[in-house]
Amino acid sequence: MPFVRFIGFSIIRAWQGFWRNAMMSLAATATVILMLVLLSALLIVITGLNSGLEFIESKVAVTAQLEDGLTDAAVATLTREVEAVPGVASVEYVSPAAAMRRLEESYRETGQELDTGGATIRLFASLEISLDDPDASGTVSAELTDDPRVERVLTKQAEYDTLLGIINVIRTVGLVGIGLVGLTVLFMIINTIRIAVYSRANEIEIMRLVGASDSFIRWPFILEGILCGLVGALVTIVLVAVVWDPIQPAMVTIFQMPTAVSARFLTTLSVLLLAVGLGVGALGSWISVRSYLSAAR
Amino acid sequence: MTYPNGKVALADVNVSIQGGDFVFLVGPSGAGKSTFIRLLIREQVPTAGNVRVAGHDLHRMRRGQVPGLRRRIGIVFQDFRLLPNKTVWENVAFALDVTGSPRAIVRQRVPQLLNLVGLHDHAHHLPTQLSGGEQQRTAIARALVHDPAILIADEPTGNLDPVTSWEIIQLLIQINELGTTVLMATHNQEIVNAMRRRVLALEGGQLVRDEAAAAYEREY
Repeated sequence: MPFVRFIGFSIIRAWQGFWRNAMMSLAATATVILMLVLLSALLIVITGLNSGLEFIESKVAVTAQLEDGLTDAAVATLTREVEAVPGVASVEYVSPAAAMRRLEESYRETGQELDTGGATIRLFASLEISLDDPDASGTVSAELTDDPRVERVLTKQAEYDTLLGIINVIRTVGLVGIGLVGLTVLFMIINTIRIAVYSRANEIEIMRLVGASDSFIRWPFILEGILCGLVGALVTIVLVAVVWDPIQPAMVTIFQMPTAVSARFLTTLSVLLLAVGLGVGALGSWISVRSYLSAAR
Repeated sequence: MTYPNGKVALADVNVSIQGGDFVFLVGPSGAGKSTFIRLLIREQVPTAGNVRVAGHDLHRMRRGQVPGLRRRIGIVFQDFRLLPNKTVWENVAFALDVTGSPRAIVRQRVPQLLNLVGLHDHAHHLPTQLSGGEQQRTAIARALVHDPAILIADEPTGNLDPVTSWEIIQLLIQINELGTTVLMATHNQEIVNAMRRRVLALEGGQLVRDEAAAAYEREY
């Protein structure tokens, strides 16, 4: 029962303290929201780009355009040889005629008709090699480049590397930005709680004189900081949930990739936002209370 | 007791106060009365020597034990130190709330004490609606809420007119008769002379007099 009294006492005083200096508390809460919105944006974009990366990874393939005039037997031999290379999942032969049909199809998809103007186009026959290990792309393409039966080797490695580079830059810049905003948030909370402590200086003095324990003096202030973090996290979660559906197609448009983020990530993100909000609130107020209340005794 | 700035506030003071006593602490400003009181409630730890209060050795006391000591000592001040936005009832109950006392105890103790100090009719008044004497009674009720062994009164009549001062002294005597040790720091000669209790006189950080049934000034 004493513990229940302690919790009740601390929560009530934290709530009173939050509204006693409402401007300051709300300003601190606003910075928490700013930080968490930035964090959400970063995480959503990075998660989206990572799923784009996975898409490319699943498609990572090597296309070997073959020299003209290979016999069916030669093609079959080459296919078996390539299949034996480690990291290769499967090999598919695309004949010039099949390549032509694909080209016509892709034109039809965009609503046009392939018009060769009567000329005959001869496309390369090719082997489409899919990999189960994206890192094998290098060795496979190196081997095929030197092969006399192969005209040219095309890979998606460059595309993959570019996207990976972009993700890394966004992640680094984002984390540095969030780190700076996080420091601002910390200072805001430290200051808010410091002002709360000063505005209750008389009460704190009386609490000490009548024998209140340190935890009764400190916890209301720590909870007040946690309250800033909690309110900030809840507001951010609502904001993210509201914009969740519209931003999914927008990201696909911007990045030209299947970057959709699963709805399950929203739950994970909410838990993370709560943890970060509560954590920064508790840390800020703890620092404040530690430095200002210990000095006074 | 030497402060960090090098000022010696108290030196060679040897005093023992028995439980149930009523003792006056007198002396000019700066004589060391406030330091004496701060040592008793362990707001300060002596740089040399030892202080024992209600069975506790304050020098060896851990920080976590200080609240327990403070509950054994009630303290009132010249300026009352009431919380202006709380009623009389809330000011007294505050001392119980912040020490985690159950509601049932609060509901039982607060009216008892308001009756003792004669303020049960003013329970829901704010300090600004009270006279100085009533504010000091509220402070005394708050100081007694944990049923302390010792009541320290630091110039309790300093802001009060003579008639009200006497009323407060009557209340302190009544509390002393109920078994609480009372230590009262004061400049009020009239009261000290009329009461004829033990007097501790400090001057320049030294205990210059410790006499039973004494007056404010030394009598020859």
